[in-house]
Amino acid sequence: MSPRLRRLLFLACCALVLPAVLHVAAHMPRFGDHSMPYGDLINAVALAERHTTNMVSAINFDYRGFDTLGEEMMLLCAVGGATVLLRGSRGETESEPQRVPGRPIIARADSTVLASRLFGAVVILFGLYVVLHAMTTPGGGFQGGAIIASGLLCVFLGEGYPGWRRVAPSELFDALEGGGAALYALCGFASLVMGLPFLQNMLPFGQKGDLFSGGLMQFENAGVGAAVTGGFVILLIEFLEETREPVPDGDEEGDDP
Amino acid sequence: MSAVLHAPPVTLLPWLVAAWLFGIGLYGIVTSRHYVHLIGCLGVVQASTYVLLLAVGYRWNATAPIFYSHPPGRAVDPVVQALVLTDIVIGVTVTALLLALVLQLHKRKGTLDPERVRPMQP
Amino acid sequence: MTLQQMAVLPVAIPLLSAALILATAPILPRRMPDVLAILIALCCAGLCGFLADRSAAGPIVTWFGGWTPRGGQPIGIAFVVTPAGGWIAAFIAALFAATLVFSWGFFEKTSAHFHLLMLLFMAGQIGFCLTHDLFNLFVWFELMSVAAFALTGYALRSSALSGALNFTVVNTIGAYLILAGIGLAYSRTGALDFAGIARGVSASPGDPVVVASFCLLSTGLLIKGAQVPFQFWLPDAHSVAHSPVSVIFSGAMVAIALFGIAELYWAVFASAPVVHALMHGLLLGMGTASAALGGVMALLQRHVKRLLAFSTISHAGIMLIGFALLDRQGVSGALVYLVGHGLVKGSLFMGAGILLARLGGADEIGLRGAGRQIWPAGVAIGAGGLLLAGLPLGVMDAGLERIWDAARLAGCWPAEIAICAGLVCTGAAVLRVTGRVFAGLGPVPGEEERSPTEDEREDADRPLWLMLLPVAALLVLAVPLRHDADRIGWLAAQALMAPQTNAILGMGRLHAIVPPPWRVAPHSVLPWIATAAAILVAALQLFWHRLPCPLAHGFDRFAAPALRGLSALQSGRVADYVAWLTAGLALFGVAASFG
Repeated sequence: MSPRLRRLLFLACCALVLPAVLHVAAHMPRFGDHSMPYGDLINAVALAERHTTNMVSAINFDYRGFDTLGEEMMLLCAVGGATVLLRGSRGETESEPQRVPGRPIIARADSTVLASRLFGAVVILFGLYVVLHAMTTPGGGFQGGAIIASGLLCVFLGEGYPGWRRVAPSELFDALEGGGAALYALCGFASLVMGLPFLQNMLPFGQKGDLFSGGLMQFENAGVGAAVTGGFVILLIEFLEETREPVPDGDEEGDDP
Repeated sequence: MSAVLHAPPVTLLPWLVAAWLFGIGLYGIVTSRHYVHLIGCLGVVQASTYVLLLAVGYRWNATAPIFYSHPPGRAVDPVVQALVLTDIVIGVTVTALLLALVLQLHKRKGTLDPERVRPMQP
Repeated sequence: MTLQQMAVLPVAIPLLSAALILATAPILPRRMPDVLAILIALCCAGLCGFLADRSAAGPIVTWFGGWTPRGGQPIGIAFVVTPAGGWIAAFIAALFAATLVFSWGFFEKTSAHFHLLMLLFMAGQIGFCLTHDLFNLFVWFELMSVAAFALTGYALRSSALSGALNFTVVNTIGAYLILAGIGLAYSRTGALDFAGIARGVSASPGDPVVVASFCLLSTGLLIKGAQVPFQFWLPDAHSVAHSPVSVIFSGAMVAIALFGIAELYWAVFASAPVVHALMHGLLLGMGTASAALGGVMALLQRHVKRLLAFSTISHAGIMLIGFALLDRQGVSGALVYLVGHGLVKGSLFMGAGILLARLGGADEIGLRGAGRQIWPAGVAIGAGGLLLAGLPLGVMDAGLERIWDAARLAGCWPAEIAICAGLVCTGAAVLRVTGRVFAGLGPVPGEEERSPTEDEREDADRPLWLMLLPVAALLVLAVPLRHDADRIGWLAAQALMAPQTNAILGMGRLHAIVPPPWRVAPHSVLPWIATAAAILVAALQLFWHRLPCPLAHGFDRFAAPALRGLSALQSGRVADYVAWLTAGLALFGVAASFG
């Protein structure tokens, strides 16, 4: 199909769908003013039942905790897939793909190095704070894990590639990622061993609004935090490998850890 | 169609925005000449699902579903917010995979024009 | 351990072991992931089979975290094992076990990652079959999609990469359509559990939002199920992935997406009249078109895996016809056909894998007569071809007879013709390959007929018997279990079509699944005719050059341009595929307005 014909087909189809879309939009529940039985029920009972003040975390880790387990595994899957795709070709000889023309790693200004060191530490601390406060205020393992990983990226900005590879050995972060996801799954098996339904929260719930409230949810949250940190760092490692300057033949493996 | 005309405009706006984002994202994919641009358009399509889900859970004059400093009361729907969180993770994972694929393809073909990187074409 | 607790294990065990394999990959012995993955797949198959067997006495309902519904309002996620979902999950796990045996030692270098992806792929599919929650269904759907995207690109050749890109883009749009459908269903009913939504749907069955939700959900699933006009991604992806991966794609992934539509229809939307009309009209039409188109396209291919990929579209179309007839006979037939087709198609893709490993290619013309020294593979592929053509033997035929019977009773003659065309063309295509590659039939290829594809040899360092073992196991399973499969299919159709909505919500007792009295699947003359026609068509194609001149000339003059046009639609451009996807959405929009 020529681009012109394709665009025409697409626009014609959109025109055909449009009346149906408007019709449905007109019959949607009134925006901001309709019943929400599921959400209201959880808003009403979760604080009393689980002692967590963050309803979104209560849903993510308890009421619908099984979704989060699946989502964790999706992350594992995507990171594993991206690793294979990126790493596979670097060791591949079959069709010998060339490395992307490398971006020269420019020497950094002292101010960049200083700023990266300062910000890196602050960002990582902030990430830990967000992970820890999942049960009380907005935050949790996902958001915090992503923040920690970006804090580690400051190492690359400040110290350059060799420094980055020193702080980020991929085996460690593979283990962190797999271990975090396994911890989440093991929480479910712990409930099974105690004769309860999978993922049933059987630990003491703690004080309402306390950092350590929520019982089993804390372990699940920690698992998510570890898995997301590990997964994102692995992604960063693999993508940053691609930006390396091509090394002359002969000492290809010279600076690999 | 008459119902469209009589409803107050603001109640329709979120649904129409969601539909618009979906459509314009698809348009971007259909006309894209570069795979990285195409992946961006896929992100626009995904954004429409954020808008839809969050609009479904919105409520006028209500607080966030975080009862740390005030007692449980009239709050927006926390369920859709949890769903959107999952949605975001899905978006991130798929984007990472797509970018890895695109990077590899670029190494082999030297181009990322969807017209020129087609599977099984002689 | 109670049955309720056990119902979680077929998903939880592969998830946990995948995470552990990743965490401990550097210290695991070399063959350990292989052995572990095969054992886990077998264990899941056994568990699912056991649970499915027990669920005949009443669906096994388990609420995660112990969150049972409150006053009819579900607040957690449930797994519900019925004979339908349970047996399909068991079949999937068994297919995975056979595939993992087939791929023993296939992926030396990045072995642990391959098994990680395969285990998560399996867990996603089993979770998809067992879950009773719309968003949870989406999570498993997306888990299996992400695993599938990664596994497609795994081959790392440029055609594999661009095939994986087309696959990922089109299917990800499908995932967002599903998510939008979930949003609409939730906005109207305030629930995510199937039973909870079903209650809301039956309270307002004519609501356009409900209909739109069904349209979006089924579009997303039809994309995964590769039905016209959403099918274009499938040949690109299935033919470039490694053959063990293609086995799962064609044998299980496509088919369970269609099962998902059937499950959603009866568990959630059955009380909406417009949805009923869409299912019996538009989806039936799509199935019909896919059955015919897939068959014709399969005949035109010379790359064996691409040929098999098109035949999957055709047979998935036949399955969709079975579901969309909305008749007990058709549904039980489609469920049985799903399993039978999975077994046969799985063994055929393994056969193609043997060609790639032993003969270094899958181009039919280039391999003419090259298969003589691996004749046992030829026997297997030929047998698979006959079964695809409808040879009245085994599980696939039991399903086919019921779908055929249902279509005949419904007076739906286009579907009958499409089923015939699909069977004859796909069977003929595979038989033609067998004849050419293993018996050296057909004309000697000239220099200009060289294969246009790149080198795609797969790892040959495996004994032939190891690769033939799972092929034989699948074919052997596909034949003698006819009666058992048919009886289970009959029970499963009852479980699928009469969900115990109120009892699952805690209002009322779960009761045993009692189908109407079972009769042996009918025997018609169709399969014999289809098989004979397939052999005839294969022979015609092989000996085309010896035909009297006017006949061949007439064909070239009139039919060939149309066929070239059809092939040109499969352009490999993802933008074209998305434009066709929009056309499919428009079809839904128009049909829903007039339905």
